[in-house]
Amino acid sequence: MPATASGGARAEEAASTPSDSSSAPFCMGTRPEELAARLTAGGPGGVSGPGGGGGRGEGGEGEHERVLALREIKNQIIGNRTKKLLYLRLGAVPAVVAALAEPGASPTVLVQAAAAAGSFACGVDDGARAVLAAGAVGHLTRLLAHPDDKVVDACARALRMIYQSKQAPMLDVNNEKNMDFLLSLLDSENENVTELAANIISYSCDDNTEQLALCGAGVPQKLVSLFGGSMNLRDACLESMTAVIRNNWEVASRFASMDHGKAFRSIVGLMHDRSPRTRLLACLCLIALGHASPCHFPDRQIKTKLILVLLELIEEPGHVGDEAPLALTTLIKDSVELQKQAFSTNAVAKLSNHLLANTLETRRAVTILLALAELCSKQEESRSQLMSGQVSTLILDALKHDCADIRVAACSCLKNISRSSKVLSAGRLSCDTVIAPLVQLLYDSSTSVQIAALGAICNIAVNLTPRKSVLLHSGVVSQLVHLSKSMDPALRLKSVLALRNIMFLMKPKDKDLILKELTVSTLSSLICDSEHSVQEQTLALVQNLLDGYVDSVNYVIGEDGMVINAISRQLNSASATGVCIQGMLVLANMAAGDELNKEAVMDVTVPHRADRMKPSFVVNFLQSKDKQLRVATLWCILNLIYPNSDSSSTRVARFQNAGVISQVKNMINDPCLDCKLRVRMVLEHCLDNAVSGFM
Amino acid sequence: MPVRVVDTATPSSQPSSGQDANAVQPSPPSCSLLTAGRCFAGTQNVSSLQKDEAWKVNVRIHGCDMEQGYLCGTMEALNVPLADTPVVTFWEGEIVDAKNYTFFTGKWEASAEDDVRHWSKFSSFTPLLSQIEADGGKSVDLSNYPFIFMRWKEQYFVNVGVDCGLTIAGFYYVCFSCSDGSISGFYYDPNSSPFQKLELKCTNEKQSGFTFSSYELQ
Repeated sequence: MPATASGGARAEEAASTPSDSSSAPFCMGTRPEELAARLTAGGPGGVSGPGGGGGRGEGGEGEHERVLALREIKNQIIGNRTKKLLYLRLGAVPAVVAALAEPGASPTVLVQAAAAAGSFACGVDDGARAVLAAGAVGHLTRLLAHPDDKVVDACARALRMIYQSKQAPMLDVNNEKNMDFLLSLLDSENENVTELAANIISYSCDDNTEQLALCGAGVPQKLVSLFGGSMNLRDACLESMTAVIRNNWEVASRFASMDHGKAFRSIVGLMHDRSPRTRLLACLCLIALGHASPCHFPDRQIKTKLILVLLELIEEPGHVGDEAPLALTTLIKDSVELQKQAFSTNAVAKLSNHLLANTLETRRAVTILLALAELCSKQEESRSQLMSGQVSTLILDALKHDCADIRVAACSCLKNISRSSKVLSAGRLSCDTVIAPLVQLLYDSSTSVQIAALGAICNIAVNLTPRKSVLLHSGVVSQLVHLSKSMDPALRLKSVLALRNIMFLMKPKDKDLILKELTVSTLSSLICDSEHSVQEQTLALVQNLLDGYVDSVNYVIGEDGMVINAISRQLNSASATGVCIQGMLVLANMAAGDELNKEAVMDVTVPHRADRMKPSFVVNFLQSKDKQLRVATLWCILNLIYPNSDSSSTRVARFQNAGVISQVKNMINDPCLDCKLRVRMVLEHCLDNAVSGFM
Repeated sequence: MPVRVVDTATPSSQPSSGQDANAVQPSPPSCSLLTAGRCFAGTQNVSSLQKDEAWKVNVRIHGCDMEQGYLCGTMEALNVPLADTPVVTFWEGEIVDAKNYTFFTGKWEASAEDDVRHWSKFSSFTPLLSQIEADGGKSVDLSNYPFIFMRWKEQYFVNVGVDCGLTIAGFYYVCFSCSDGSISGFYYDPNSSPFQKLELKCTNEKQSGFTFSSYELQ
């Protein structure tokens, strides 16, 4: 699944050289084996004629045959992956590239060889690798200085195709010579060459230093100056500009103020260009600018225009329509304000209608579902509208789609719809039609689908309705327990989180059922998992188990104290803060039980041991910078000394001896109000326990 | 909690005019006693001139987002005379934080005077009154104040139909004490008895201490 939207690459150029349509004469075979053999056998110097003797000069028979062979190969391979692979196996690529290297090769040969090399590199990784291995980039680059414009055009086009491949080498723009070369290309009067320069920048601009180097060399100004050229050149420059700006605050802010904002306005203007692809690329450039430097992009009107243009582009066929929803997703991601704006422009309805009205090809359905998911990530109104429309049925159908990306996107929608205590309280998702297909996806062969399904299940698992949990009786618990033992940490984390959420406010009887599946042994293993996040979620699960179910403490202290020992180890080893917070809340819940429970907690927090040198972790936690850890620790202490009784007095004395009470007294002016209030409660309880003599 | 229908009052749907989303103020303190899952129990006084009456009430918090000034939960009225079973309603709350919401309601048929009259019923509001009168409460810093002021608005009946003879047209002015988790509230509905008082205490559910539970949304 793609992470960000891109403008996409142009299709392989089918009519890139003159006379392409002419076929080989009858005297030359058109079988690939024959053509490749002739080209290879000829080696440097060209294809030998039947009478022997390689022709070198323009117009010689050998030269003529070589041109015909190159042209025929090129014509056969354009847009034909099978033929490309066949010629690769036949070893044609080195021979094609060799033609480019030959001193004195005629322009006609060079044009045909360049076109064939470019075509081999287009769309086939092995082809690109072969072309690169044969040294094509060096030869083609050298030929950009050829006096014949047709050769220059052909070489620039070939290089562009090579730079569309991920196999191409990056141009190190931090190298002065490379930068000079790039600038010389940008200064060329040949649009094919300037377009190549823009493509190289898009491809090679990878980090901050490169972006700054390009900015420092005046590349953004040059790119803007080229917007007036052909549509292809303009599009390449927009893509290039996006690459230079992306995630770079400094470059983005310099660009935004460049020419008193004229450059910025020119891109805003391109949002309304006639070409849909140009409109999409202009939107992507503005989105990159807005993300890199939000302060330079405060105009609400432009943002609204962006949303409207992208929603219009969804109606476009092909790549542009496929990518427009993804661009919208990138634009509104994590922004409540923009999600509100998108909602007010009727984005949910427009996207839903498109999804409903079309027999959608895979990519479009995925990107629209992801955009709908993002619209629902923070907006209650969007969730409500999406759930009430016909599209909700379509989302449920998408959970069963053959394409894994669609299943993932549908799960994302359900996850974000259910990311709301209001929705969960209404209980509309706690029904079999939603839960059954989601649970089925936990058995999916794709891990990414399993993780996406777990995301939705984690939310829906929070049963805030008075109705009996459908989820609990869907067989989900067994599979979650199974996944909690997975080697994949993401699967472990999400499955434990789902179990934690299922456990929230559950009846004791149902908690027992879960524990029976999970087992105390697995629980203690998960508390000591290699991942802190898994440890934290497991402890939160134990916390939910204990809340409202005093007797469940037997799971924690029973079976030779496997669970309580695991918790004790984590707390004593000063684990991650989140782990410590959840661990202390588990102890607080235990400490809210009877005397036996309280004493078990005391043995963890202030153990009777010979080693008095090591201070209790409780003191360290009270000194933590994290207020949640301080609060959790204070609640644990409070519960241990509550209510007033002889045993409570003894526990106060133990805390006093361990230096805990004096640390609590130091916190009387804690900057966190919640801490301050709990400190007061602890100290009041100490007084009530009539142990003021200790203090 | 629903009250008896006196008149068919419709909640105002006019946009909030009392909110100033641009004012930058620190949020009220997060309080470990005001979290999802927490339960409260107590009474609502529904006495009229003819009769003294109080209904037992249970409240459970379902969600709380201090950053957005939002919370929600359910309210269960136990001995409602007109109902065969306890009546459960779902409510949503606005936390007064001078960022998302101010002391002025600006909707639900509550005027600024109604607001001040109700808030003033809470003794913890008294120290804030002069600032509210001076600038509408824009400069009030509640980040270290041991009370959290809220409005709770019931949205729908969970377990009975709308034709149950009860209304949820009004809303509650609520004051939560961060110290002990106690809640005081006053129900406001121009068509109901004025100043019906809600009094709730944080429940320990028979445990000797406070327990905690939590969920995490993805």
